[in-house]
Amino acid sequence: MIAADLFTALAAASRCSPGCSPKDAVWRSGKLTLYRYRPIAAPAAGPPLLIVYALVNRPYMLDLQQDRSLIRGLLAAGLDVYLIDWGYPDGADRFTTLADYIERQVGGCVHEILQAHGLQALNLLGVCQGGVLSLCFAALHPQRVRNLITMVTPVDFQTPADLLSKWVSRIDVAAWVNDGNVSGDVLNQLFLSLMPFRLTQQKYVDLLSGSAERARIENFMRVEQWIFDSPDQAGAAFREFVTWFYQQNRLVSDRLEIGGRKVSLRQLKVPILNLIGQRDHLVPPAASLALQRLVGSDDYTALEFDLGHIGMYISARAQREVPTAIANWLAAR
Amino acid sequence: MEPDPWQQWQQFVRPWIESATQGSAPAAGGAAEAFSDFLRDRFGKLQTPWASGFGAGMARDPAPSFGGDWPALGAAREHQQRLQRIAEAVQRLDEAQRRLQRLWSDALREAAAAFAARLASNPPGSASTEALRALYDAWIDCAEDAYAHIAHSEPFCGALADYVNASTQWRQEVQASTEHLSKLLDLPTRSEINTLIQRLNALEERLRVAPQGPEPPSAAPRRKRSTRRAAKR
Repeated sequence: MIAADLFTALAAASRCSPGCSPKDAVWRSGKLTLYRYRPIAAPAAGPPLLIVYALVNRPYMLDLQQDRSLIRGLLAAGLDVYLIDWGYPDGADRFTTLADYIERQVGGCVHEILQAHGLQALNLLGVCQGGVLSLCFAALHPQRVRNLITMVTPVDFQTPADLLSKWVSRIDVAAWVNDGNVSGDVLNQLFLSLMPFRLTQQKYVDLLSGSAERARIENFMRVEQWIFDSPDQAGAAFREFVTWFYQQNRLVSDRLEIGGRKVSLRQLKVPILNLIGQRDHLVPPAASLALQRLVGSDDYTALEFDLGHIGMYISARAQREVPTAIANWLAAR
Repeated sequence: MEPDPWQQWQQFVRPWIESATQGSAPAAGGAAEAFSDFLRDRFGKLQTPWASGFGAGMARDPAPSFGGDWPALGAAREHQQRLQRIAEAVQRLDEAQRRLQRLWSDALREAAAAFAARLASNPPGSASTEALRALYDAWIDCAEDAYAHIAHSEPFCGALADYVNASTQWRQEVQASTEHLSKLLDLPTRSEINTLIQRLNALEERLRVAPQGPEPPSAAPRRKRSTRRAAKR
């Protein structure tokens, strides 16, 4: 009977969709859409906040459902929130480079927002790989960024606990990409193989051994959808990202160039808030903590949470603590 | 006659489970190793997918008619060399896969021994659902720890890189063969489409940086047209 209930709940939840906060598309460029979220609280002082999510997963993880939404927490604090949705690259995007993503796409969004608000600079929140893109953008265009927040963002890609870095160190990435895109399915397999027993077995045992309560099952299915809804990666940008960051660790060695311009974190003097998951298996804490010794900012704050990578977005503790930490830090600047 | 695999499996797994549940760490550790050896033996005999079908015969026998170091002469030398490179990639893929399987079985062996040791120090009190669940979670912890130990190791990283690089070589050579066939049939190839995409991207970039977009068509053709009209009249 319990199994039948569970099956019915799972089947019903398969159709539930993620996302909860109303938003409007305010700018489009190619497959990119820039969204602005509708306010739900009295506006706080300060410029808008642009969220730059990773290329490797979909950004709706930040607004999964009412009680698991970083964005909703930020809106409740009165912040004016914009979000970049990169879309799903296809074969025609295979030559899109990191310079295209950083200068044209992030740069285009920043330009649109600044023009719309008549401002010189905005607040930037980069999440995971999006944090790396944000660091590059802020280093290249410091005058356009008032405050920079990085969340579960790798900076030193060769720390001892970084399994991905060890795995890719001797792979011929240029040959592997070979002018094509990188399949999202391949990346899914890669991420599953970081913790294969937990991610392919234990979590489903957890699911089946719990109750058939609708909310619990829907939570699970939304996260499940997000995990496997992985866009293909534009080949050129992927090749550059793995080679420059994972294999050559250029942010740390100060040898990074984007679009022919040097990206030096030393030039980054804006206030920085660095949010870290202490149990993050994808971005080990040491990989993020390295930021402090590399940037030129005098106003640097690191906040560590006893959470994993995904927990930083959707855990109950994250809902209570992360948006408040961001809003309070911004309010103080 | 080959012994029944199911009977063999039972023969090895039963002592392991019995010794583990009886809380005898040394016995469980020994049984775990025997079970692991059995699994390794079975894995070792497993035919990998790429060693069958397209690559049949190449992985085990690297010197078929066009394989190995057979000299490439004559008009078909390019095709022969491509097939030789495919055969070489299949062989490298197979070798890397076997190394990875061996390392996986090492991880399972380590996990089984750690699990047995944990059971010995903290034997399950009852056969309740909660106790079984705790047992399962303990197994997962042991398995993840053992896997992490192996996955971070130099041999694993090397085998994984060899596997990916060999599969890359195989895919590139097969793509080249497919492109050759496509040209024979006058079908568009990926290389041609890539060239078109790059040309479009270059045009887009020129339009983007041009101050006022492309120049409008010049007035000269219109003047010519009016001349022709005048001539007709």
